[in-house]
Amino acid sequence: MSDINLTKEEKAYYLSQEPLLKHMFQHLQALKKLAHSDKTVIAAIETAIAYARKFNDKVIRPVYKQIDLEVARNPDYLAWDFVQKASEWGLYTLFIPKMCGGTGLNTVAINPFLEELASVCPGLALTVGAHYLGWGALVTCWNFPLTVKMSRMIKEEEQKGNPMLFCAAMTETDKGTDTEEMDLLEKGKPAITVARKVNGGYILNGQKIFITNGHYCTWHMVCAFTDRNKPVGSLVGAMVHKDWKGFSHGRIERKMGQKSGIASELILEDVFVPDEYIAVNLENFPETSTRSRRLLQQMMVDYIISTARFNVAAFAIGLARGAYDTALEYARSKKVNGTPLIQYQWAQMLLADMYKNINIARQTVSEANYAAQLYGISSIMHTPLIAFMEKYVPETVWKLWTPFMTLKLTSWILRKWTYYWHPIDNFQTQTVNSSIAKLTASDIGVLNSQLAMELMGIDGCRHDIGAEKYLRDAKLVNIYEGTNQLQKLNIGNYRIFRNMDEVRVFE
Amino acid sequence: MSMKTAVAPVGLSEEIKAFRDLAEGFAGKELARNREQNDHYPFGILFTDAIRKASEVGFFHVNIPSESGGIGMGDTALAYILEEISKADASMAGVIFTNAAAVEVINQASLDADCSAVYEKLFAQDAFPLSFHSFTAPSEMELPVVDARGRISGKIMFLTLGEISRYAVIPAKSAGASLSYYFIDLGDAGVAKSNTVYSIGLHACPSLDVTFTQVPAMLIGREGQALKYFLAMQSHLSIGAAAIGLGIMEGSFTDALQYTKDRFQGGRQIIDWPEVRMILANMAIEIEVGRSCLEDACSGQDAGREGWEKRARSAAVHIAEMSRRVTNDGVQLLGGCGYMQDFPQEKRMRDAHQSINFLGMPLVRKMEFINGIIAES
Repeated sequence: MSDINLTKEEKAYYLSQEPLLKHMFQHLQALKKLAHSDKTVIAAIETAIAYARKFNDKVIRPVYKQIDLEVARNPDYLAWDFVQKASEWGLYTLFIPKMCGGTGLNTVAINPFLEELASVCPGLALTVGAHYLGWGALVTCWNFPLTVKMSRMIKEEEQKGNPMLFCAAMTETDKGTDTEEMDLLEKGKPAITVARKVNGGYILNGQKIFITNGHYCTWHMVCAFTDRNKPVGSLVGAMVHKDWKGFSHGRIERKMGQKSGIASELILEDVFVPDEYIAVNLENFPETSTRSRRLLQQMMVDYIISTARFNVAAFAIGLARGAYDTALEYARSKKVNGTPLIQYQWAQMLLADMYKNINIARQTVSEANYAAQLYGISSIMHTPLIAFMEKYVPETVWKLWTPFMTLKLTSWILRKWTYYWHPIDNFQTQTVNSSIAKLTASDIGVLNSQLAMELMGIDGCRHDIGAEKYLRDAKLVNIYEGTNQLQKLNIGNYRIFRNMDEVRVFE
Repeated sequence: MSMKTAVAPVGLSEEIKAFRDLAEGFAGKELARNREQNDHYPFGILFTDAIRKASEVGFFHVNIPSESGGIGMGDTALAYILEEISKADASMAGVIFTNAAAVEVINQASLDADCSAVYEKLFAQDAFPLSFHSFTAPSEMELPVVDARGRISGKIMFLTLGEISRYAVIPAKSAGASLSYYFIDLGDAGVAKSNTVYSIGLHACPSLDVTFTQVPAMLIGREGQALKYFLAMQSHLSIGAAAIGLGIMEGSFTDALQYTKDRFQGGRQIIDWPEVRMILANMAIEIEVGRSCLEDACSGQDAGREGWEKRARSAAVHIAEMSRRVTNDGVQLLGGCGYMQDFPQEKRMRDAHQSINFLGMPLVRKMEFINGIIAES
């Protein structure tokens, strides 16, 4: 290297210029930092993909079009048979760590797993993915005793043949993306779902809308606020059981697509939640000179939705693949003017474009996945000690350590580690990569679905052939977990303009 | 407030203005209020009353020559009607379009041969609307065969209005492989219909797959001239297809504009967010460009300008592509609400994506378009 005219100081200077390496090559950072990344991560991804493909063949492909049609016929139709099958296959515990009673497949693999499911049916993939969003929201609060207790409950019910699903309930009527961004939340309408402290617990009142899996779930991770007029800094996360007094389901939304992944209204009328089921009350998080409660709430919400964003982006890759696969198969069988469509060069070029699009989407999503493993809540699973123990310690031994895991000290350390000791740039890195992934992949999902339909003419519009479903499914990825417009604001706020005090993003 | 209709009112005849107003009133009274319910077909009830009323007010007679008992108003009047109807519910526009395409094939055939017997059939009871393969070109179809006795056997996929129409206009191959158009009675015992084909959009303009077994058929025009009649029809009806795309876009914009005024996010109207305004601006610009295309195609056709067919065809393709973008943005501006069937935006997006296929596969049409230009050069 002696012929490279670059001093150590110069190198440090130039590497401190934008874009920072930390923001550029997440996959390389992951290779360096994820414990056992060379073997464990790859092995987990291989297993996840193969298992998902088997599940697609045996469970999803035979039923997905019919379920979609049933929901079109009757919007209140619930695909319980599928939920039951997914539970029998262990999908709702597959990515829960062994320490919490799950199968413990590495968290890095959930993203490619969801891509595979969505390559056949994004709606059914959503019923699996949204469960992990609910479970992940609980984990993010780092109330570890509650997390361990409830995670093991999922496994126990699964073994009894009872699917136990979780969901995250954030969205409220007319508030949309407000809940996700403190700059919007503090200026928006008053919160609807309110938590009032009473002896032994909280009383919840309010309503949630667009809650994926709401009608399927046993437990709902409800975001409420102790002060409806000052929701920023007054967040309460409460686990609410479907059978508790005062809890009820409202209507199921009539969606354009992803019909099998239902969106529910949840109604809370004087629901008493015992203290032991309160995952978090942000007012118990102390403020410091660098961590205002506003920032802490933003971090907590962001860790949840950032994870959701790059995982719904995996749905978009999957459906972009589904559209491509359908178009390719069609082009091989369809004749135009007596010549197979696949023999027309313009058709071949269009298919190449679709294939290229899928790969672009996967690269952005993969980067976001690695950013999440490096800097998000999942990063704890990649610390050498935890990674080693998850790999080699059987679940029975983990159970013996329950008293240690459920110490208050454990939760205290985890909260400190996530919300106080991590540099702020960590959550910003994850959230920006997730926004880039969702923005890119969701647009590509719509585009590939359109290209498939364009190639196939009116046959692309037929439900029985299958391409049109991917377009209907794709459009939702542009919208949920924050619209694509919010993703752009997020990228500006936390990356491009983060050091430019004069720039106001949300004003 | 809705967007003004596309075609410039300069020089517009009183008759056409009357039809435009009639269509606007019809859309408001018969379609807009029941949009969600009508869109539930085939799982709900088809809006047969509205179809009957559309027939009563003459929407299915617009392009039938007056000497054959029709209104004889031509493509511009049809465009006005389709645009106004499409703002409210493009399914009805699909019904009118499909009938008009079948009629236009007969019109083109009548320039070659006596078609009075076919026109006579049109004025039998319940003849309207006619069924037609309005989403596919003969080059893309599996074609049925006609035998020496004039009986048709074989299959036609996605025959639009096949389940409700008494008559259909369909292409079929003779033994010599020449392609001709035929007029057939869908009530014949040799006609076997599938269930309604569930498709992405235009749910109340239903289609199905039909199998024919020895079905008697009446030749339309001259034998072996089906492609000529189809291509001529394609030029005329391109104006109608463009009008449907434009109407869908206008409906989407109007509702998006209103919603962004009504909806608050982060404490302010979302129309005050510059990104929202930029999306609205893009939608409005695409609509204005679409208007220019359609106006030019209509005036060219009305004046019989040389090359009007190219303008009409390119307008249809271009506006259809724009309608996909605009309706996609129309959903986006309403966020989660835009994705729900309670609001009209998602239906418009679905309808736009099906409408792009009016008159055949869009990419094949593009290649045919440039091949024509190359052949002339």
